[in-house]
Amino acid sequence: MGVVTTPALSRRATAAALEPLVFILIAIGIGLLEYFVAGPFTDFGPSNFWLAFVVMAAWNGWEYAAATTATGSFTGQHIALADGSPAPVLTIVVRQLARFGVLYGLPVLVLDFNAVIAAAIWAAVGLLIWRTPDRRAPWDLLADTLVVDGFGDAIEVVELPTIESAADLRLDETRARGNRRAARAMFAAGLASVVVSALIIWNIFTQAAKFVSDSEFEWGILTERGWFPRGGEFDLSTLFVGTLWVTGIAMLVAGPVGLGVAFYLSEYASPRVRRVVKPLIETLASIPSVVIGLFAISFIAPTVLSRIFDDIGIFSILAAGIGVGVLTVPIVASISEDAMRAVPMELREASYGLGGRKVTTALRVVFPAALSGISAAAIVGVSRAVGETMVVFIAAGGNGIFNTDPVQPGQTITAAMASLGAGTDQVAGSGLAFQSLYFLGAVLFVMTMVLNVISDAIVRRFRQVY
Amino acid sequence: MAAARSSVVDLADLRARKGADITGQIFLGLLLISVALAFAMVGAVFWDVLVEAWDIISTRLWDFVRSPSSSDPAKAGVAQGIRGSLLIAGIVMLTFPIGIAGAIYLEEYADDTWATRLIQVTVRNLAGVPSIVYGLLGLAVFVQGLRGLTGGSSVVAAGITLAVLVLPVVVITSAEAVRAVPGSMREGAYGLGATQWEVIRSQVIPAAMPGILTGTVLAIARALGEAAPLLVIGAAGFYTTGNNDFLEQLQGAFTALPMNIANFSRLPAQTWRGHAAAASVVLLAMVFMINLVAIIARARITKKLGR
Repeated sequence: MGVVTTPALSRRATAAALEPLVFILIAIGIGLLEYFVAGPFTDFGPSNFWLAFVVMAAWNGWEYAAATTATGSFTGQHIALADGSPAPVLTIVVRQLARFGVLYGLPVLVLDFNAVIAAAIWAAVGLLIWRTPDRRAPWDLLADTLVVDGFGDAIEVVELPTIESAADLRLDETRARGNRRAARAMFAAGLASVVVSALIIWNIFTQAAKFVSDSEFEWGILTERGWFPRGGEFDLSTLFVGTLWVTGIAMLVAGPVGLGVAFYLSEYASPRVRRVVKPLIETLASIPSVVIGLFAISFIAPTVLSRIFDDIGIFSILAAGIGVGVLTVPIVASISEDAMRAVPMELREASYGLGGRKVTTALRVVFPAALSGISAAAIVGVSRAVGETMVVFIAAGGNGIFNTDPVQPGQTITAAMASLGAGTDQVAGSGLAFQSLYFLGAVLFVMTMVLNVISDAIVRRFRQVY
Repeated sequence: MAAARSSVVDLADLRARKGADITGQIFLGLLLISVALAFAMVGAVFWDVLVEAWDIISTRLWDFVRSPSSSDPAKAGVAQGIRGSLLIAGIVMLTFPIGIAGAIYLEEYADDTWATRLIQVTVRNLAGVPSIVYGLLGLAVFVQGLRGLTGGSSVVAAGITLAVLVLPVVVITSAEAVRAVPGSMREGAYGLGATQWEVIRSQVIPAAMPGILTGTVLAIARALGEAAPLLVIGAAGFYTTGNNDFLEQLQGAFTALPMNIANFSRLPAQTWRGHAAAASVVLLAMVFMINLVAIIARARITKKLGR
């Protein structure tokens, strides 16, 4: 028997071992899809394996139809006869049926998917393939086939166009048209962002204008003490005080910690330490803010703050501010670190050359050089803290009473919007209260927009320095 | 002001004085404290959530994941939230091509005019607009304006709103990835006679793919965790689907995992704290799983590109 050696035998063995795993994963995936998306709640069971069975049948058919072509199957391999020549279709069909029958037909069709027996069959087949010379599977022995890396004579010859004159170099119309169409599609997508921002601005400001021009509205109601939109009290100072407190506390937490982390990562940490520390701190950024809100009422307030302040409850501006601070740490840290790392090495070396110590270099050379970037980080942090909603909504316990004491419950602009929004169905028709939602949105939009534009300008300026 | 300088007479005078750098030690100590504080924050969040959730995780995790909301603490679960979050993530993903195409337009097609710079500044600033403001947009445009299409406060309206919310993130990160593709790759393809679109399709997009993928994953993770816009749009805390078919459910009442967490957290009774924590564990698991998939996909693509 002429044996064609296959250099990728181990790769093939791995692929074969993974296939039952893929089958099980598909069954589980179908179960989950069925359960969460397709509606009626059914139990996970044999029906999922039936569906996976169909998927695997399609996979097997496609995979080995492809394995007869010049380019090979998914794994780049071909089904050949024992002497290495391409196998006829009938032989392949026999081989595939035998293979599918042993791997899936037996456990699913005959035994109605008994997981233990299926695993035993797969293990036995694997062992058999392992022990047979050339790693030929039972179905390969049956159909007398072999899996090879390529047929020597099946290379497709591609006709290249001949170039005889300059006219042959000209782009043909189909490709030119494709090019133009793509350019138009990309432009339309770019336009989408402009349309979206125009929509936001137009929508918010027209609604806010309705609030201001309403017959019940007069500027005086914006300065009475207390924010009770459904009662007709719209005192902005109540919300501003809350927002200022939360933002201030958040920056007291995030500023020093974020800056310290940035200094450490940029000036002190070795690359190895940095590779570990940085992702861990960035984990904070991927924690959803609702979870931090929960953290504030289940840990910050009862476990930490109640030991320091006697009269603090579960809900307070202080707890919410610290929660927002936790969220802001990674933002401040990563932007300031970028700024410090952008400081050229020459400046540090000059400082060392003059006998400067590490701390002097960090504080007197790197810090001033990165100051614009660090202030941009602070501004972005403030903007994030002002706009943070869920932590305050959950942890500040907002009522609309005017309050300047941070250990008491309070209300911020965003939390007031969230409370209003949480009852949108009730508010929708009732004039001023609904439009005050948009009025606050406009105030918030202007505040964060100004902060963002300033920080953007600073960052762009400091980028040009080096 | 002439500072007193130590005179350098021989090499020994240049040697650093041992134990003299107390300021440096204090400074490093402060830095280490801030790093430790940041670590403590990460640790405390996970520790606290796990401790609060332990009762439910250890006794009825599977049941919790599979049960719809209920007024009975022993029966309540987050199946509806998971379902809503998955559907929202799906709708958000549908809009990624727009964001990526917008980034390609900005980086590959647009000339450096005032209009282009305006678009760039707008996109950067949109990324900084508080998420609750997007909720206002969703409420006015997708819930009330396009009621016929979305059916009001529905998962479709929520999905489109969050898609608009993450669009700037997708555009910015994709644009960065496209910008990082070296010009020599483009010139090589142009030299072989490729059109601009062929260059982009065959060279720029594959080379920028790992970066684009990272951006889109960040976007999905953000969309999964956002609750504020959903609150404004009118996500329900409790609802029943009845016998509605899939399409009717898409336009009907909905909720999402972060909404479940917010609702459980705001219930006055302490019994629900554990539910909020357990829902947080499910949400965190989803976010980290998506991140993991991205890391693996990234590694595979990078390997395939042979870099």
